[in-house]
Amino acid sequence: MTVFNKTLAGTALCSVLALAATPAFSQERVHIEWWYALSGRLGDLTQEMIANFNASQDQYEVVGIHKGNYEETMAAMVAAYRVGQQPTLLMAAERGFMTMLNSGAIVPVNQVMAEQGYDTDWGDFIAPVAGFYVVDGEPAALPFNSSTPIFWFNQDQFTAAGFDGPADTWQELDEQLYALKEQGITECPMVLPSDFQWSLLENYSAINDMPFGTSANGFDGLDTEFVYNTTGMVGQVDRLARWVEDGILHLAGEGMSSTQMFVSGNCATVMSSTASHASVEAGAQFDWNATFMPHEEGVEPRNSTIGGGAIWVVAGQDDGEYAAAAAFLDFVASPDNQAWWSEQTGYVPVTTAAYEQMAAEGYFEEHPTREIAILQLSRGEPNENSRGFRFGNHNQTTAILVEEMQAIWTGQKTVQEALDSSVARGNVILRQYEQLHAGQ
Amino acid sequence: MLVSSDSSTIREGAPWRLPASLFTGLRARFGAQSSEGLKAAHFARPGIAIVLLAPQLLILLFFFYIPAYKALSLAFVQTDPFGLTTMFVGLDNFMRLFASPEYRFSASLSLVFTFVQSVITLSCAALLAFATDRVVRGKAIFKGIILLPYAIAPVASGTIFAFVFNANVGPFANFLHELGLPWNPALRPLDAQILVVVAAVWNHLCYDYIFLVAAMLAVPRSLMEAAALDGARPVRRFFTVTLPLIMPTFFFLMIMNLIYGLFDTFALIDTMTQGGPAASTSTLVYKVYQDGFVQLDLGSSAAQSVVLMAIAVVFTILQFRAVERRVNYGV
Repeated sequence: MTVFNKTLAGTALCSVLALAATPAFSQERVHIEWWYALSGRLGDLTQEMIANFNASQDQYEVVGIHKGNYEETMAAMVAAYRVGQQPTLLMAAERGFMTMLNSGAIVPVNQVMAEQGYDTDWGDFIAPVAGFYVVDGEPAALPFNSSTPIFWFNQDQFTAAGFDGPADTWQELDEQLYALKEQGITECPMVLPSDFQWSLLENYSAINDMPFGTSANGFDGLDTEFVYNTTGMVGQVDRLARWVEDGILHLAGEGMSSTQMFVSGNCATVMSSTASHASVEAGAQFDWNATFMPHEEGVEPRNSTIGGGAIWVVAGQDDGEYAAAAAFLDFVASPDNQAWWSEQTGYVPVTTAAYEQMAAEGYFEEHPTREIAILQLSRGEPNENSRGFRFGNHNQTTAILVEEMQAIWTGQKTVQEALDSSVARGNVILRQYEQLHAGQ
Repeated sequence: MLVSSDSSTIREGAPWRLPASLFTGLRARFGAQSSEGLKAAHFARPGIAIVLLAPQLLILLFFFYIPAYKALSLAFVQTDPFGLTTMFVGLDNFMRLFASPEYRFSASLSLVFTFVQSVITLSCAALLAFATDRVVRGKAIFKGIILLPYAIAPVASGTIFAFVFNANVGPFANFLHELGLPWNPALRPLDAQILVVVAAVWNHLCYDYIFLVAAMLAVPRSLMEAAALDGARPVRRFFTVTLPLIMPTFFFLMIMNLIYGLFDTFALIDTMTQGGPAASTSTLVYKVYQDGFVQLDLGSSAAQSVVLMAIAVVFTILQFRAVERRVNYGV
């Protein structure tokens, strides 16, 4: 090879290198999209967290897009994925866990972090969170906005009725709520939360150590079947039906939310997510308080289960985008940001480190109700009945359960008829899911 | 339609509006006997007709025929939302639908709802249109008030209705409670159904009203005067002179109401009742959305859309056969 040729080759190589390098210099940042499902105050805080991340470094830029509620976000994701327009990060509800896990459209979050060279300590999640999101020892998604139901009550009204606060058991609570109504203290002793299937049924089943379905509530396989029509749930549903009938438990109705009914002082109690802290703290003009969910007499209460959303990494993106995603997830999972997020929203700090940091700052002494959720979640060792629920098409079976519950309240069915029908219809959906995902 | 990336078009029900060409086609078929009047309108040279039709046909192709084809192809499979596994199941989706009591209830609910809503809307609109002529002062205000609801998006009016009739806080609900009525659309299925019908009538009344007023303006004054001279009183004149003359408009409105009731009430139901309580207001079109876009059961949802389309087509044909014979387009 002549010198000339060598020079030529060298120049060519240089120019190729220069060309390859140019984008890195001229292109400002790697953009990735994150579709999330939070709105209102929670949505604003989500945007604030994204802005904080974008300001913290200059390589990546996360663009947060609100796609509606969880269902709408998921529907948008499905449509986008089928035409190759999917985002890099997606927020999905705990109810959509199986749908996402078996979708073939995700990359386990741990894999992304490892490939991008992050040494994140994933073993640090509090037990029920880890128990739910960790599959075969690896977290499938990053739990982000995790919550659990707690029992909110109007302290003024309880005091007026001569009670210090709500009782620990459903039996005593029953008497208290009737007393609130009979003494004329409130027309509405309790309002039904919009996600009552989660707080009043699924969590009831977990806390009181009853099976909801076979195969460890779906953790042991897709052959799971619902059994809640044969457990203590029947008694719980019976109680709720009696309360609705007697005007103890009110339905907010369309146009109003259950939180609004509580915050406005119309209803004395509500059993809803710890994430209601954001709106209760902002709006309640009375002495409000919160406590643990009640349990059955003579039962040692177990942990409650988590709800809320997790961040999934979506398949089909390039390495640069995954680098951005990993950087963002690392940012989100840091104890500082976990603590910030939890303090702002009322969601649970999902890592022990964040929890300890908040405790060390004395945050829980100032805000005792903020600690209820995490104490309730980490009460005892989660067992088969309390670890959570892994049912395929869980959204669909939940919708059926809600419909059948409404059939009880409207007087169309008895409690047992409705639960039997709900289980039978739900099991058809589970079999359909099993058939479709047999190979997984 | 189910893979359309923009779900808002589905929510509006736009792809499912019956194409105008269907009417033309049907009109040509069922009206072919008559060689005079508007029934037999056609172009001497078909070339220009095709050019004029092209834009509309293209829109139909993209927003109706292609989505309809996609729906048809999904109706015979079971698939997970992301399209990872697709299993051909033949008529399984349809068999499951027809075997399900919930679906049969939804179907009869939709038909009853559409019928009741159409009859009330049309008769109220006819009454108001008739009254327009009798209003001497403030005619503009009268018309303005009636036309106002049409300017409000169904989602907005649904939200307002839901709030105003909310059993806990709504002023109208309070009023009903004071009358001693146990009104509660969250707990009483009939209340929820009444609420949906009332909102739908309120929403669609002005549409019918505009058409009827316009049609009545076109009725020759001389005929009315002749009838008046013969001693016919206003109500009698309306039924014997006006009504037969505006029959084509009336017939058109019947079909539009059918389509409105079957498809366009989605936004109202979504904002007012979410199909509840206990699925008592879950009409066919709401179920399609609920099963397809919320529950992601694409196969069943597609099968439902196919059935819904078939129902709409069959009813439109029936209306043409049964009613159009009595309609005279030539004046």
